[in-house]
Amino acid sequence: MAEIKAAEVSQKKKSVLNNTAILFLILVAMFGIFSYIGRPWFFSRLNIIPMINNLSFIGIVAAVLTMVMISGEIDFSVGGNIGLTACLTAVLLERGLPGWLVVIIALAAGAAMGAFNGMLVTVIGVNSIMATIGTMFIWRGIGYTLTNGESMLAMNPVIDFIGRGFIFKVIPFPIVLLVIIFVLTYVIMNHSKWGRRIYAIGANPLASYLSGINVKRVKFIGFLLCGITASLGGLILTSLSAVGMPQHGQGLELVIVSSIILGGTVLGGGKGQILGTLAGVLILSILYNFLTIMNVYYFYIQIVQGSVLIIVVSTYEIGQAMKRRRM
Amino acid sequence: MSENNGVVLRMENITKTFPGVVALDNVSIDLNKGEVLGILGENGAGKSTLIKILAGNYIKDSGDIFVDGQKFEIRGPAEAVASGIRVIYQELNTLNNLTVAENIFIGEQIVKGPFRVVDWKTMIKRAFELLDTLNVKLDPNAIMGDLTISEKQIVEIAKAISKEAKILVMDEPTAALSEEETQSLFKIIRTLKSKGVSIIYISHRLKEIFEITDRVTVLRDGKKVGILKTEDTDENKLVEMMVGRDIKDMYPKREVKIGDIVMKVQNLKAEGFNDISFRLKKGEILGIFGLLGSGRTSLVKALFGANKIKSGEIFVNGKKLHVKSPSIARDEKIGLVPLDRKTEGLALMMGVKENITLANIKDLGKSFLIAKANERKKANKWIEEIGIRTPSVDQEVNSLSGGNQQKVVLAKWLESGSQIIILNEPTRGIDVGAKIEIYKLMQDLCERGSSVIMISSELPEIMSIADRIIVMSKGRFTDEYARKEASEEKLLHSACL
Repeated sequence: MAEIKAAEVSQKKKSVLNNTAILFLILVAMFGIFSYIGRPWFFSRLNIIPMINNLSFIGIVAAVLTMVMISGEIDFSVGGNIGLTACLTAVLLERGLPGWLVVIIALAAGAAMGAFNGMLVTVIGVNSIMATIGTMFIWRGIGYTLTNGESMLAMNPVIDFIGRGFIFKVIPFPIVLLVIIFVLTYVIMNHSKWGRRIYAIGANPLASYLSGINVKRVKFIGFLLCGITASLGGLILTSLSAVGMPQHGQGLELVIVSSIILGGTVLGGGKGQILGTLAGVLILSILYNFLTIMNVYYFYIQIVQGSVLIIVVSTYEIGQAMKRRRM
Repeated sequence: MSENNGVVLRMENITKTFPGVVALDNVSIDLNKGEVLGILGENGAGKSTLIKILAGNYIKDSGDIFVDGQKFEIRGPAEAVASGIRVIYQELNTLNNLTVAENIFIGEQIVKGPFRVVDWKTMIKRAFELLDTLNVKLDPNAIMGDLTISEKQIVEIAKAISKEAKILVMDEPTAALSEEETQSLFKIIRTLKSKGVSIIYISHRLKEIFEITDRVTVLRDGKKVGILKTEDTDENKLVEMMVGRDIKDMYPKREVKIGDIVMKVQNLKAEGFNDISFRLKKGEILGIFGLLGSGRTSLVKALFGANKIKSGEIFVNGKKLHVKSPSIARDEKIGLVPLDRKTEGLALMMGVKENITLANIKDLGKSFLIAKANERKKANKWIEEIGIRTPSVDQEVNSLSGGNQQKVVLAKWLESGSQIIILNEPTRGIDVGAKIEIYKLMQDLCERGSSVIMISSELPEIMSIADRIIVMSKGRFTDEYARKEASEEKLLHSACL
């Protein structure tokens, strides 16, 4: 009986003090404080809407990349993918292709990029860090080649709508996309058989394989989806800026991976939460936005962002060490 | 009587809980100067926890520790070492590309001169002296990686006594040693003992307990069952104390009706073995015996689709199988309980229920979603049916004992409906009580009409439990015995052919 009781207590503790909940509490506190200090600019429609638009494409990519990371892999090529997608979109629009077709081609290109990564990792067996750092350069290089290194105007009713349109005249379309992707990935990771396989593979790929799970296929599909969502992110960014340029999304892979890790996903896989990623994206984006509107020098912002990441990850490590200690 | 020399160590009412388990419940031990105290218990009885508290790796919840009569709070490994406590773990922590002398003095190299350069000459001389006090001939300049496990262990002991050691703890020191090596280890223990070092000796092997210890403490389920003078007890009594019940039969064997052939393997060849043929019947336990390197693990991996088959055929119920992957084997109702459950069998950071359903995720719900209530029900069913001791279905399997972890692996294949279950060393590293339960479970499976292939290197086990035994040596089939005709000599002879 004593055993059972101890377990119940520890489980209650776990649910109250779960990391994701703490992150959301921090988020709410941050939002409150920033609204107060940054009044009246921070909490105004003029700031909030663009801020959410900007974090939408980061969040969309981060949600799916979280799945890849929980499976024990990583994709650093998402930033390059965004750059390539932006350029491709602009070039195709210039050729006069209809907007809907451009969107389909862009997403197909994203799928191809993701499939290529997935093939490198699952068929050839390249470590995903190396494989996707490699393709990160390749995608961006192709982007430069497509536009000759220049920025190109990318305006078209369909493309415009993706980043700047409104549903029911009030809800920005990128937010709708963000919500859809997060709901989907949340359901997949927390309630679906496929999500269970992803967690299992991250926790122990060998045991998963020896339990009849097709490890390679699950990982491949993860990369494939990651490629598609990265190009969706690229479309949103192109639309928001109305230009396609190869520098789009530069450095974004690190911001995205940072957000995911901030949200509690572990490098190496097996542990992580979609909602944690959402919190991580929101925290980093809101912080960035706040510091920007407070006119903090950009160099300092980078220092703050880096520090936040290190502080949070250190906190996780200390928490883990304390837990081990108690064991 | 060595007891008169005074108490060096007293651990009083030590309690330690982990989430879900009371690992130690008010355990007290005392250790006299120059004494060898055996600690005996099944896996999960709390032996390792007690040692880890003594070594400063775990912090006790309550209780007191006295060293030389002084109350002593051990907060970390460094403090344990400072008070003369040394632990030699089962997994040796040696640096294999350094020399023996370097390993002995690692972290406290003898230095000389203003620039604190390493004084090789003195260090090698000291190492030689140390090894000499243990009465062993070992070259201090030898590279650690070239030594045998028992020699490495001796170096660890030398390292432990290089600074003054009052209390030496040895955790299953003979697990990897041959009989001869065990005897030389015992010689060293006696030498140390005569020098006044107190030794805590942890082992599963009863014979050794009688040979080397002065007193023995028996732990069970985190509680101290008793402490006895070794000379006043006998093997049966200790086993009873350990397991908490009368073990009349360590290997319960039931006669199960054996039916038709379910699996036929013909001239199978893959990496690690060659030309293996056998038949497996319904309700039968087929034993595969062989020494390390005989190809037995390669064979079962091939049967399970995890080792590429080069030639030969496998038929199950008359149907030819192409087991190209474990998922195909799983779909054909073949299950594998692998050699190393922690790396091959379980997702340790996941819960009991996730592990039980791991091989059958597709049946977790009608749509693409998991019906979570249904999953709990399935997990609970197996927990009850095969007696997995866990506080809940959500418990991380990492925190379960070895025997219960093994049952979770088995439950995984029961849940996926396996008809042929292959177990590779099913009782490795699990305690006596859990072993018996596993034997019973294997026979339960046979009674339900499944068939079992059991690989084992434990002779008494395979001779008692398997209905038929095939022996492999160097990747080849050498002999086959029915249970009644098998003997240790015959099996060992065939395994060395």
